[in-house]
Amino acid sequence: MRIISQLLAIPGVIAAGEYAYRGDRFSFKGDLSPELARMASILCRSNTLSINMQSEIFSAFAEDCGCKPVQGWVVRGKEMSVCVVGNYFCFCQNAPGVFNDVMTIMRAKVGDIEENPLVYMYAKLGGDVNEKLY
Amino acid sequence: MNLDNLMQVPGALAAFQYDDRGDLKSHQVKEGSELTPQVLDLLAHTCVANMAIATMEARGWEALTGQTGFEPIQGFSLIGLDWSAVVGRNHGIVVKNRDADYEAAFAALSAYGA
Repeated sequence: MRIISQLLAIPGVIAAGEYAYRGDRFSFKGDLSPELARMASILCRSNTLSINMQSEIFSAFAEDCGCKPVQGWVVRGKEMSVCVVGNYFCFCQNAPGVFNDVMTIMRAKVGDIEENPLVYMYAKLGGDVNEKLY
Repeated sequence: MNLDNLMQVPGALAAFQYDDRGDLKSHQVKEGSELTPQVLDLLAHTCVANMAIATMEARGWEALTGQTGFEPIQGFSLIGLDWSAVVGRNHGIVVKNRDADYEAAFAALSAYGA
């Protein structure tokens, strides 16, 4: 649940949750009803399975093409985006800066970023980020 | 249409244009990248399919929940192990995950009618 709390701390994040790859267990925080969170979990699980199937097909064309295993997917709407990495999902507004911060947190916690995500996020300030942060 | 602008997005490995059926029309690949036209063509097809699915889901979600702000779908991104494909309506960019600026990628694509 710590990832979900971290995501919700980002201004512009509406809701975040975790879904199970199998079965119907889920947890969430934010501005969603339990029924909507359940539906969102089903939608995310279904799409994630589909994307993984697609990456299997990619690997048939190019074995080491760099996409497999898939970390997640994003749908960007007119004003809202849905970000899914691993078995976590996040609904966020399309305000400047929100999306990149959400992706940084999600990839750092579930995906492949090895650096400290705070350093990664504040790198755009320039200068010695470690000195400014710590 | 010129793909040079899309190749300027941070971390861009490839940029491509495809038609409404997903057939690859043009592409540029950064030197040294292992992405091939065949992979980009397949990627374009999957992105067209995923955009259509996302539109269906967004329409259904808005109708069921009363929440707005999803439609029309502006773009889709597949986040792979090393790279992410970010696509709009008929253009896409493949960006290296480590250097990716997803917002810049979507912004660049919006200039192409995403």
